[in-house]
Amino acid sequence: MTGTRERKAWWAVADVVILVYALVPVLWIASLSFKPPRAIADGRFVPSEFTWSNYQQVFQLDLFTSALRNSIGIALIATALSVVIGTLAAYAIARLSFPGKKQLVGVTLLVAMFPQMSLISPLFDIERSVGLFDTWAGLVLPYIAFSLPLAVYTLSAFFREIPWELEKAARMDGATPFQAFHNVILPLAAPGVFTTAILVFIFCWNDFLFAASLTATTTSETATVAITNFAGASQFDEPTGSIAAAALLLTIPTTLFVLLSQRRIVAGLTAGAMKG
Amino acid sequence: MATIVLDQVTKRFPDGELAVQDISLEIADGEFIILVGPSGCGKSTTLNMVAGLEGITSGVLRIDGDRVNERPPQDRDLAMVFQSYALYPHMSVRDNIAFPLKLARVGKTVIEARVADTARTLDLTDLLDRKPATLSGGQRQRVAMGRAIVRSPKAFLMDEPLSNLDATLRVQMQMQMSRLQKQLGTTTVYVTHDQTEAMRLGDRVAVMRKGVIQQVGAPQFVYEHPANLFVAGFIGSPAMNFLPAQLEDGALSSVLGELRLSDRIRRSLEATHAPRKVIMGLRPEHFEDALLVQPCVREQGLTFFAQVEVLESMGSDKYAHFSLEGEQARAAELIVDAGTAGGPGAGQLVTRLSTGSAAAEEEKIQVWFDPEQVQVFDPSDGRNLTAWERK
Repeated sequence: MTGTRERKAWWAVADVVILVYALVPVLWIASLSFKPPRAIADGRFVPSEFTWSNYQQVFQLDLFTSALRNSIGIALIATALSVVIGTLAAYAIARLSFPGKKQLVGVTLLVAMFPQMSLISPLFDIERSVGLFDTWAGLVLPYIAFSLPLAVYTLSAFFREIPWELEKAARMDGATPFQAFHNVILPLAAPGVFTTAILVFIFCWNDFLFAASLTATTTSETATVAITNFAGASQFDEPTGSIAAAALLLTIPTTLFVLLSQRRIVAGLTAGAMKG
Repeated sequence: MATIVLDQVTKRFPDGELAVQDISLEIADGEFIILVGPSGCGKSTTLNMVAGLEGITSGVLRIDGDRVNERPPQDRDLAMVFQSYALYPHMSVRDNIAFPLKLARVGKTVIEARVADTARTLDLTDLLDRKPATLSGGQRQRVAMGRAIVRSPKAFLMDEPLSNLDATLRVQMQMQMSRLQKQLGTTTVYVTHDQTEAMRLGDRVAVMRKGVIQQVGAPQFVYEHPANLFVAGFIGSPAMNFLPAQLEDGALSSVLGELRLSDRIRRSLEATHAPRKVIMGLRPEHFEDALLVQPCVREQGLTFFAQVEVLESMGSDKYAHFSLEGEQARAAELIVDAGTAGGPGAGQLVTRLSTGSAAAEEEKIQVWFDPEQVQVFDPSDGRNLTAWERK
């Protein structure tokens, strides 16, 4: 009896430590975002004065609203394309045997391990010469390239879990290979698809390196870049408060995306297919 | 409704393994045929080739006279029931059963009527809105059946559909399946490794070993006239006893003594040029406690004294096990393979006696064997030397 209580207590301690460790920086930024400029450096965790002015300021900036639009658009398009291509590729890797399969998997891994930094200047030159620089497509393409390995790996792990006989059964029931994939395999892989979508979305949403290097104006600049371009109300003003407010705002879409997708991540979706 | 013809069908896997070799089989319209054999004998591969899930290396597969080798599974109009049932876990029972009809673009009202019909036939009406995960094994099996019968396909292909059920339920489902098949009159190809199931269900059974069909025939015929040692050992439970024997002057001498052959068997052995050294096969059910046999009949048969080692009382009969001395029927790879059917250990003789027998463990009794029922095999190739006339 005492054993379980003791163990529970230890778990509680561990949980609290992890929560504090993860949340303190976020709460600190939240606190900063509600402080007026003169109180920014007061070092108090709970603001003594409370103001919405930082948020109002952020939304008055065209820079930020257009950047938010760009971020949402680019991340959603890149996620959608990456997940679709990744699903098809992962299915092929998990289910089919074809010449060069091992090499394909190896190359995918190579792409994932390649230092992105080293690609920035060539990418910059290429995009400049083909006219992709400072466009949505100019960011969507590299995002797809770098998120695909992640997508393929996650998804093929999920596909491997799906009982192979279900596809055979669908074929026997009169389905074409695509119908079998669409009606039977894909719904069962849904948790994997959503997990992958979340990971890819977060990757695109949080990217700074590509966004900073391959964009120049409000037509394609994303929110992560826009924040760094914030200026204070006057040249002597640090824009700390607005940056904090914008940073906090940036976490909202990701949180929403995760919460919405989470409903679809139901464990044990394939239960009952087999003899059990 | 369809005839299925396999003409010298062969399957060689990419790694060079020959899974199925030159199988020729004509399955009549409405027939219930069983492919039976130990695991790895190629029976499931054969079924998958008929289904179209597995390519055919050489040979021709015809359904209703049309060559279908290249036709994908969805265009063959066959329904399959899998050992694992392979129900779609994200669909309700209703949607599982309706799935083949939806794919065939059948109208909504028709689908509803057909699903309701099928559910009634299989006693699934109350379960239609449940998900497969909440069903018992037997219920899942019925849903899998429902998915197969709902669209009235040309033929049913069944891959060990009952092997995941417990013994009582399996026997019950065997009866239901047999009744259903007769009622629908749909050609059925059924794969199993269980020879009792094969005997119980099939109009005909095809016994397979190592990718080759050993014998095709009605269950009773295969049981009475096994083509070779393998079939003899595989069909029948408990398995046939095999003993080495010498053929001399119209009699077989073995450790059990001398067995005088009937004219019919003697003629058969002459016609097949039986060698001097043979293997004789004695089914447990053709033995009897000598005290229960009429004296005049007893004298014509083979009788011997032996000590009962183990006695199993099954209620309806008694199985007496004896330990044999001397040389065993060496052999034959064929017997070893068939041993997977649950044959006796080497040096064992299993006999089935009537309940009236007073046999008791550790006691010596006299046992009688019916000489008309002896099977004689050539030890070199395993062929049955007593079955020629009925071929």
